[in-house]
Amino acid sequence: MADFLSGYSIQYWLESCAQGYLEETQFGHEAGVVEPALVLGDDLLREQAIKVTTQLVVGERCALSASSGLINAAPDEAARRFLATQTLDEARHVEIFTQRLYDLGVKKPDLESTLREHANPNLVKFAETLLEKVENKHFIPGVVGQNIILEGMAFSVFEMIYAGNQKLNPKFAQTLSGTIADERRHVGFGENYIGALLKQHPEKKPEIERMQKEMSYYMLATFADQFRGDENRAEMDEMRRAARAAAGEEAPEGTWQGANLADLDPDEMEGLLSNTVLGEFKTRLGRIGIDYQTPSRP
Amino acid sequence: MSDPAEVHALDPESFEERVHSFQFWFESVQGYLAGREYGHRPDAEDPPLEESERDRLVTVLCNYCVGETAALDGASGLVAAAPNRLTKIFLSTQVVDEGRHLEVLRHRLVELGVERPEEEVERRVSPRLRDFRQRLDALVAQRDWDAAIFAQNVILEAMEFSTFHMHAQFADPLTRELLIGIIKDERRHIGFGETELGRRLRVHPTLRDRLLRVRSQLDPLVLATFEDAMSELQVPRAEREDLGRSYLGAVERLGVRA
Repeated sequence: MADFLSGYSIQYWLESCAQGYLEETQFGHEAGVVEPALVLGDDLLREQAIKVTTQLVVGERCALSASSGLINAAPDEAARRFLATQTLDEARHVEIFTQRLYDLGVKKPDLESTLREHANPNLVKFAETLLEKVENKHFIPGVVGQNIILEGMAFSVFEMIYAGNQKLNPKFAQTLSGTIADERRHVGFGENYIGALLKQHPEKKPEIERMQKEMSYYMLATFADQFRGDENRAEMDEMRRAARAAAGEEAPEGTWQGANLADLDPDEMEGLLSNTVLGEFKTRLGRIGIDYQTPSRP
Repeated sequence: MSDPAEVHALDPESFEERVHSFQFWFESVQGYLAGREYGHRPDAEDPPLEESERDRLVTVLCNYCVGETAALDGASGLVAAAPNRLTKIFLSTQVVDEGRHLEVLRHRLVELGVERPEEEVERRVSPRLRDFRQRLDALVAQRDWDAAIFAQNVILEAMEFSTFHMHAQFADPLTRELLIGIIKDERRHIGFGETELGRRLRVHPTLRDRLLRVRSQLDPLVLATFEDAMSELQVPRAEREDLGRSYLGAVERLGVRA
């Protein structure tokens, strides 16, 4: 295991990340790139951007608490050092998404109240389920919850948002692109490292499977809150109209998982996102020897 | 890259927002870590050491590893207890700094021919340093923010800063390079501890008595650890006193005087 972990060293992190894809960036994007006038000038689009970014900050704060909290529960030094790089990655994500809230007009003294107002309660429960494992120093369930479930969800959500923003909002797309690169590393660690540990501790599997089922339910409930209902549908229609008007003939949304996001209604988007993430869970959990548990549908 | 003069011209709130950020950390370390491999230039001079000198260096580095592991566990454990976003983000940068220190010191042990660094560290650790680590772990586990930040970012960091600074003057070229990189990080960590506790002491002056009690428990362990390290490094007596003074000066800047 030590040899595999050498690929997750801080030296590697410095070369690939700090001196690699983050070089010359400021808060995750090229200097001088700003939020588009379309987003800043349209109340609905700006409000929606604040709501979405709030969920990203909530998720990243959870990831920061989890990765830092797992360090002194880690069974070996190499894993501690990898989790140290992950802690810093997650702190960077908290910082760049918080900065985006400021860029969208949230005043610094209003940050916490804005987060409280918009944080999805199901996403908060998702985070609490994971952080309970971390708090109790349950290392293997904690890493599965963090590096496979949370990171797996974040990876797909970021990719979908990235596809939708590539043309519409290059600044946000650049910010997401660095984050996606980080998440890919984190998920890889979770899969490779935990598979070996679970072989030594098969008795941990039932606890992990219960946690996965519970976290998956709260994740689906978060997606449902985001996409379902007449209000969400009307809001999305309105946002698309505004975006199309600003972009002219060119359709502003991109392609993700083979679907043109511009052609999907909210229910279809929810289905595509949910099925993609759950499919990824199933594959990744299977690789580490965990039986995927189908969650209840909200 | 931030111009230092520009940073110091900021109002206190903006200054804190700036210097406790990932962005600031990122710009700072790019300056002195770029082009380094495991803390030193790839082509740095590495003359062979006498066997006795090598053995003493291994003992000292093993103890540095324990100090850095204590700092890694301490900083990571404190992220959850940190009172706000900025302190959480600063501590996250400290977590990766401490992880890096542990990694470069361990790598140096391997360069010196140690085959199983973890076992060697266990074998050579000073009991006083182990005791210090346990006491710091306990403060972190209790989420006692003030006492733990004092023990971690003032006492432990000042101990490491003073020791590494002294050692760098006598060290072989390669060890010196990696120590100099570590010292730059430690300076940032001590600055954070002093700023954070300085502000809290202004609001809660009675905190000083509690910190003094923490200090009175830890000082003997720190001074004994210094003695162990300096004996291994064969530092002359007179210079050992400078080391103690350097440490006490850092701790007493907060007004926590015995």
